[in-house]
Amino acid sequence: MRPHFPKAAILAPLAAIAVSALVLVLFLISMGESPAILLEAFTSTFFNSFGLGYTLYYTTPLILTGLSVALSFHAGLFNIGSEGQLHLGAVSIIALSFFLPHLPSYLAIPLGILAALMGGGLWGMIAGYLKAVRGSHEVIVTILLNFIGIIFVNYLILYPFKNTEVQNPETVEIGNGYTLPLLSDFTKLFGSEFFLTTPVNITLILSLVTAILCYFFLFHTPKGYELRALGQNRRAARFNGISLETNFILVLTLSGALSGLVGVNEVMGYHHKLIEGFSPQYGFTGIAVALIARNHPLGVILSALLFGAIHNGAREIEFLSERMTKELSVIMEAFIIIVIASQPYLVRFFSKAKKEGSK
Amino acid sequence: MMELLLSTLRLSTPLIFAAMGGFLCERSGVATICLEGVLLTSAWAAATVTYFTHNPYLGAMAALIVGGCTMFIHAFLTVKAKTDQIISGVVVNLIAAGMTPLLTKLLFGSPTNTKAIPVYERFNSNALTLFACVLPFILSVLVYRTGLGLRLLAAGDGPEALETSGVSPQKVRLWAMSLAGMIVGLGGVYLSTAHASQFTRDMTAGRGYIALTALIFGKWRPIPAFLSCLFFGLADALQIQLQSNPIFGQTFPVQALQALPYIVTLLVLVGFIGNAKPPLAIGK
Repeated sequence: MRPHFPKAAILAPLAAIAVSALVLVLFLISMGESPAILLEAFTSTFFNSFGLGYTLYYTTPLILTGLSVALSFHAGLFNIGSEGQLHLGAVSIIALSFFLPHLPSYLAIPLGILAALMGGGLWGMIAGYLKAVRGSHEVIVTILLNFIGIIFVNYLILYPFKNTEVQNPETVEIGNGYTLPLLSDFTKLFGSEFFLTTPVNITLILSLVTAILCYFFLFHTPKGYELRALGQNRRAARFNGISLETNFILVLTLSGALSGLVGVNEVMGYHHKLIEGFSPQYGFTGIAVALIARNHPLGVILSALLFGAIHNGAREIEFLSERMTKELSVIMEAFIIIVIASQPYLVRFFSKAKKEGSK
Repeated sequence: MMELLLSTLRLSTPLIFAAMGGFLCERSGVATICLEGVLLTSAWAAATVTYFTHNPYLGAMAALIVGGCTMFIHAFLTVKAKTDQIISGVVVNLIAAGMTPLLTKLLFGSPTNTKAIPVYERFNSNALTLFACVLPFILSVLVYRTGLGLRLLAAGDGPEALETSGVSPQKVRLWAMSLAGMIVGLGGVYLSTAHASQFTRDMTAGRGYIALTALIFGKWRPIPAFLSCLFFGLADALQIQLQSNPIFGQTFPVQALQALPYIVTLLVLVGFIGNAKPPLAIGK
């Protein structure tokens, strides 16, 4: 079955975003902010090279966590363990470079990416295994694994891999071979200064390719079909000879691996080291990204861009305004999720009100 | 030793309130990963209202109301709007994590903390701790020995049966969750006006999740959940002691103790130690 786009699937998220944006603007104006600040924040998240660079830098991990959540949703599983999985992915790169710091880049880069995939994938696989074999609910298991994973990674950052020359809780830098080029390195080749001094890097391209691969996997391969069948109706899938156990493990492993790739953006792309608390909840935002995209891998790209922009715009507003904080992005996110998730109810509510009004 | 015991009780108190709120909510059939958010908003309300009114009781009252309302958002979204329970919980946590620093900055000029309240305006922490130790027993009697309590259990384990007997499970859930929000609110009061003297950004630091973990570790029953809270409080107290007193000249990696609650709970959950089954209607 090819995915088709009913009008509602596109209109609904757009309506939700419009409503949320309107509420946000009204909220800010009622708090006494001038609309000029909003306009300025908006232009500097999209319409200059510096702002756009940061927006795309935040978009990159959100594409990956969004795909991670969307993939598991397709198989009827809810992976909220993305946060832990991305921590494990990031630390795996550090571990690899710690033991093999002098690899040349033609080996280091593929191995680093593989390490991130495996770190995240392993953490997802544990949840998949427990779901398949012990029947434990994947939501509770992944919440617990998040904490265990993050605490474990913090331990690794603070003890074995700690950079002892600095006070900050961060690891030693990765070897030179592991670093990925920034997008500004490419624009420089053409004599342009676009994206200069911004952290957006080649991982963005990697994540776009990953999204396309996910799309083909889900909608154009037999395995993808199996996963979606499983998500639609578990019993029917089982009667058709689709193994629940293998697929649960497979899908959570893949989902974890996608989250693990966030580490590539963070460690190999920009910071070149791992800093305690590096993720501003990319994993949880991934849930919102997947919801807005209705779990469509290509839609994830757009909705990740939206949330990347919200994240960057809120930082901008904090910078411009006396009263607002960057948590504005979190509130905006929550509001969009509410509107999207309770849409059937809202539609029913308003159509009822309309009917009564016309009587 | 005595010091460790008292420290354990102090650190367990907010966990117990949150876990008991979570108990009511989950047993009525709604997953509550929003305990963290409820704890956060109520802690904020307690500190803010106490600071402005100079009255800890008004602060506590505000925390109960705000806690109840925050949980009511979750109740409304899940019960009335039929939103996915996990997603709704995440939303409530997001709202709490976003609104509290924003409002703190609007009222106090800095997003990181509210202004400190003087010692004599703080809430009596011993009273709260004492109440936290009695509450699980009260709830245990209320839930397992009264008609109202049995309706709560039925809403969680067999909502269809309850419906057939003429009681709306939706109504039971809305009431149970509002009450649950107030109980969690007491944990917020304890955190910001009894244990500390101000609200600081993200001051709950994952306690809501630990409380949820304790509830699961206690297999969704009040007294075992209470004991798990004490156990996790002990782990926390030990961790603080070890941070200041190195053993054998080495600082012990506190992360091992931090991870302990989650690891043992995972082992319980997956059935390596006993067997834990969530209320049947959860997530539906």
